[in-house]
Amino acid sequence: MGQVLFIVWRESVEALLVVGILNAWMNQNPQGKAGKPYLWGGVALGIALAILLAVALFSASTLMAGSQDVFQTVMEFMASGLIVQMVLWMREHGRTLKKELESGLADNASSANWWGVTTLVAIAVAREGSETVVFLYGMLGSADGQTLLNMSGAALLGLGLAFLTFYVLQLGGKVLSWRLFFRLTEIMLLLLGASLFLAAVEKLISMEILPALIDPLWDSSALLDDMTPAGGVVASLTGYRAHPALMSLLAYLSFWAGVFGLFFWRKRRQAA
Amino acid sequence: MKVAMFLAAALLSMSALADDMPTYKLELKDGVLKPARLQVPVNTKFRLEVSNTGKTPAEFESTQLRKEKVLAPGGTSSVVILPLAAGEYKFFDDFHMATAQGVIVAK
Repeated sequence: MGQVLFIVWRESVEALLVVGILNAWMNQNPQGKAGKPYLWGGVALGIALAILLAVALFSASTLMAGSQDVFQTVMEFMASGLIVQMVLWMREHGRTLKKELESGLADNASSANWWGVTTLVAIAVAREGSETVVFLYGMLGSADGQTLLNMSGAALLGLGLAFLTFYVLQLGGKVLSWRLFFRLTEIMLLLLGASLFLAAVEKLISMEILPALIDPLWDSSALLDDMTPAGGVVASLTGYRAHPALMSLLAYLSFWAGVFGLFFWRKRRQAA
Repeated sequence: MKVAMFLAAALLSMSALADDMPTYKLELKDGVLKPARLQVPVNTKFRLEVSNTGKTPAEFESTQLRKEKVLAPGGTSSVVILPLAAGEYKFFDDFHMATAQGVIVAK
């Protein structure tokens, strides 16, 4: 539940960021008013695209009913990769996002061509929406309709929280700045990515595709048992294991090594 | 997507099941586990046939055994558990956490 809430919240804030910047700009500009319907049309289109993707995903998983483990493993790897890609993207574009959006808008306004705004917003919303769908799928796996209904409560709460967060961030308060928001959620997202990656690797161990090596390597259940409700939340959000196999530990470490490697490589490339 | 397809195909071809192992049954019924304590032989690969006989969805889960299976009401599915060292392994029904806590004992 906690994961669903967090993912929906963070993704919605990102989508709202784009929509909010555009909306604020339109409010401040006399010619901007005309673009509003195009903006909200873009939002609707984006949501529709994300829903379409969700439907496609679930039909794909029903088709592969006999090999659900395999499908889920692939999805978990993909979701984990998506998280890393998203964090990288935000790191590189977060700072200049506002400027880029506004100069694009000014071009649109002067030529009264608002379709560009629709496209931009639809892409932003569809991207965040479809990411949400893929993450949730990777986490909920083969949950059926009934379970998904229970989860949608958490998702709605996440969306509500996102609007609240956005409102607080818009105030430009000292309590919570955009910078701090992205820094904190970035760390949480990467931890979640690590946890998904580990879950996928453990499925491979389960299917006897990867050896467990030493199993278990240690037993830290006295400190924090991953089978208690609280420990379970920590386990699913960070990839903590009370009885890890050596292979799990190696996988976890290589995920982080990969992430840091990517960060440094991109930084060097940007600086060059 | 191509990579995903390839990966899926590779995994499929590799996950062939051997069919000469002991089978144990586990029933999940709206938060009640039957049995809640299951004894299995040590260092032996075995199959666990999990069925949901209740009216609500259930999820057999064990971080320690690295297993997760969601079951719709009336659903049955089997998981293969790799040879276990002697000891106790916890599992639960994730959708009925409050009551459904079980343990597999390898002796």
